[in-house]
Amino acid sequence: MSSSSSSISSDDEPNSNPKPVDDELSLASVTLNESNGNGSINVNENENNRQDGGEIAWGRKNSEVEVEALSSPSSSGYAGERGSSSETTNSRIEDDEIQQVNNDDGFVDGVNHSRASPWVPGKRHVDEDDASISWRKRKKHFFILSHSGKPIYSRYGDEHKLAGFSATLQAIISFVENGGDRVKLVRAGNHQVVFLVKGPIYLVCISCTEEPYESLKGQLELIYGQMILILTKSVNRCFEKNPKFDMTPLLGGTDVVFSSLIHSFSWNPATFLHAYTCLPLAYATRQAAGAILQDVADSGVLFALLMCKNKVISLVGAQKASLHPDDMLLLSNFVMSSESFRTSECFSPICLPRYNPMAFLYAYVHYFDDDTYLMLLTTSSDAFYHLKDCRIRVETVLLKSNVLSEVQRSLLEGGMRVEDLPLDPLPRSSISHRMSQQRLLTDSPERFRESSVGIGGPAGLWNFIYRSIYLDQYVSSEISSPINSHQQQKRLYRAYQKLYSSMHEKGIGPHRTQFRRDENYVLLCWVTPDFELYAAFDPLADKALAIKTCNRVCQWVKDVENEIFLQGASPFSCATDKAEFAALMLESYL
Amino acid sequence: MGCASSIPDKSAGGLNNLDNGGAPDAKNLRVKLVLLGDSGVGKSCIVLRFVRGQFDPTSKVTVGASFLSQTIALQDSTTVKFEIWDTAGQERYAALAPLYYRGAAVAVIVYDITSSESFTKAQYWVKELQKHGSPDIVMALVGNKADLQDSREVPAQDGIDYAEKNGMFFIETSAKTADNINQLFEEIAKRLPRPSAPDS
Repeated sequence: MSSSSSSISSDDEPNSNPKPVDDELSLASVTLNESNGNGSINVNENENNRQDGGEIAWGRKNSEVEVEALSSPSSSGYAGERGSSSETTNSRIEDDEIQQVNNDDGFVDGVNHSRASPWVPGKRHVDEDDASISWRKRKKHFFILSHSGKPIYSRYGDEHKLAGFSATLQAIISFVENGGDRVKLVRAGNHQVVFLVKGPIYLVCISCTEEPYESLKGQLELIYGQMILILTKSVNRCFEKNPKFDMTPLLGGTDVVFSSLIHSFSWNPATFLHAYTCLPLAYATRQAAGAILQDVADSGVLFALLMCKNKVISLVGAQKASLHPDDMLLLSNFVMSSESFRTSECFSPICLPRYNPMAFLYAYVHYFDDDTYLMLLTTSSDAFYHLKDCRIRVETVLLKSNVLSEVQRSLLEGGMRVEDLPLDPLPRSSISHRMSQQRLLTDSPERFRESSVGIGGPAGLWNFIYRSIYLDQYVSSEISSPINSHQQQKRLYRAYQKLYSSMHEKGIGPHRTQFRRDENYVLLCWVTPDFELYAAFDPLADKALAIKTCNRVCQWVKDVENEIFLQGASPFSCATDKAEFAALMLESYL
Repeated sequence: MGCASSIPDKSAGGLNNLDNGGAPDAKNLRVKLVLLGDSGVGKSCIVLRFVRGQFDPTSKVTVGASFLSQTIALQDSTTVKFEIWDTAGQERYAALAPLYYRGAAVAVIVYDITSSESFTKAQYWVKELQKHGSPDIVMALVGNKADLQDSREVPAQDGIDYAEKNGMFFIETSAKTADNINQLFEEIAKRLPRPSAPDS
C-alpha cells in the first residue's frame, strides 16, 4: 500500500509519509448499501460481493484505479489465541496499524519527540486548498457541505477555495442518490471516504488512518451534532427557502469548536464510548456538590452541570429530564473551546441535539477557576439574573464545603493508575509468570524491545477503560508509561475503537469477549449487560494472567465506585452488584 | 439570521430586572448597557479595557453574550454602575439581540475604522434600535481601532455626521492603547437621564 512507492520528496511537509499523490484521490470501488444495509463495510469479502452497484472511477491525472488492493493478512504478527469469533475478519488491520506507527507516530525512532508541543486550538493551514500537495497528504479530512455543494466547513484549508472540491463530493452523493441508493463508503487505495447525509447537510470524512467505518461515521455524527448545538436543526429551513443558501457566515468564529472536537477524537474515549466520565472525588464531596445543584435545579433550572475540564463533578436534571452523554460531550467541548466563556459570565443560546434538536436552550456559563465551570441550562430566555443568583448560591456552598479545592487536588493527583492496581490476594503465581515474561522478552525479536521497556501495571497491564452501562459513565486509567506521548495515546485509543466497533458490529455481534495480540498490544475486551472492559497489555503479556488482571480491575473499580462514578444520577444504580458477579465469570468465557 | 427557533418574546421583561431593583437613586445609578456591532470590531476589547484595564490582542470570539459590570464615580459625586452586555457580533446571534438590548438604557454601537463594512453594519444596528429599542435610549457611536490610522477606511467625519444626524454621541477609541475608553463611559454617564432628581 502506501509504503510501496515514494515519488514525492517529503521536503518539509508535515506528513513525513511519502506517498504518490495521484493515488490519494483515485477512487476504487464504491460500496453501496441500502439504507437498511448493515455494517459489513470492513469485511472485505462481503464488500466485493456487494459491488453490484457498479464502480465510479474518480481518478485525477492518474487514471489507475485500484480495486481493493489489500495487503495479505499473513504478514501480520497476529498471534492466534482465538478467544472470539470476530477477530479473524479483522486481522488485516494490524498490518496497517504498524504502518501507521511508522508513518504517523515517529514511534520507531524514539518515544519522546512526539511529546513536545501541546495541541493548540484553532484551524491550521488555511492557506491550503485541494491543489496543495500538503493538503492532499493530510491523513484525515472532515468536510461539511450543503446539498447544493456549497462548502460549510473543512478541517484544513479555506472553505471558499474548496468550492470545486465540495461540488465534486456533492456530485458523487447525488449521482448515487439519483440511482435510488445511498453512498456510505468509498475505498480508494488506503483511503476511506465516509459519507453521512443529514437532510440538506452532507458530511464527509476522507481518511487513511484505517479506523473502522463505524468509528468514522460516529465522528461525523458528532460533528453534525456540534453544528446542531450551535444552530439547531431549524437551519434546514434556510435551505428550504433557498437551496443555494450559504451557511458559512452562520458558523462564523466556530472553527475552534470543530477543530477541538476533531482533536478530541484522538484523546477522549467519550467520543466513541458514548458515556461520560467523572472527576474522582470523595463521595461526600460529590454529594455536597450534587445537593446544591439539586437545590438550584428545583428552582426552575433544566440542567445543572458542574464540570472540571471534560470530567463531571456532579450533574442534576429537573424532574425526568436526562442528559445524553453525547450532548454533554458536545456542550463541554463548545464551552471549553470558546475562550470567551473564561473571561466573564456568559449567557448563550445552545441546542442539545439529543434532547431537542429543534429548539434552543439558554446556557449560563461561569468559570470558578481555570478548569472548573458551572453550566446552568434553562428554557427561558430571560432567566439570566435568576441563574446568576443561582450561581452565587452554588459558589458559596462550593467554597464553604471545600469542593473547589478538592477538585484542584483531584486534578493534581489524577485518577486510577495501572501501577496502583491492588495486588492479588493470592500472589503466588504472579512472580513466576513475571519471570517467564521476562524470558520471553529477551527471546523476542529486537523490533519489539523498545516498545516493551515501560513499566505499566501488574501482568504488563498498560491501560484500561471500564464503562458502566447503567450509569452511562466510564472510567479510564491515567495515561502513563509506557504510553507516553499523545501519539501513543492516540494509537491506543484507535486500537480501542477498533475493538469497540468489532464488538458492536451489527450482524456478527454482539460479542462477549475478545482477546487479541498484535505487535503493539495485547487487547482484551469483555462485554456484559452491565459493563464493558477494555484493557491493553504489553504485547508479550501472558493470557491467563491478563484475564486474571482484568478481573482484578473490575474488582478495583467496584471497590472505588463511590469515588469514580456519579451515583444516583440514573435510577439503575445497583448495577455494580451485578458487575461483581460477572467478574467472577470472565475466566469461564476465555 | 433566520435560524433562531425561539425568538425572544417581545412582551417579556427580557434580561432587564433593573427597574425592580428598588427605588431609583439619583446618586447611585445602575444602568444596563449593551454593546452591538459587527464581529471583530473590538467590543469585548473595549469592555475588558474599561472593566479590567486589560488588552488581549488574541481574538476571542464572544459566544452569545458576556455580562460584566463596572462602577464609575463622576465629579458631582454620583456613581454609575454599568451592567454591560457584550454581545457576540456573529450573524447567527443577530436574531437574539433583542434579548440583550431590550430595556437597555444605553447602547454602544461599535465599528472598526479600518472596515467600512463594519460601519455599514453599525448603521444597521442604529436603525434596529430606533425601531425596537427603548425610546429614550442613549446611543453612542464608537469608531474603534483608532490606533490603526494607516489602514483607516472610515473617515472620522463620516462617523461624526452620521452620529449627529441620529442624535448620537460619537467618539473614536482604541482599546489597544486605552485611548478614549474611559472618556467614552464617562461621557455616557453624564448624558444619562437622572431619575427623580429634582433639578435635572
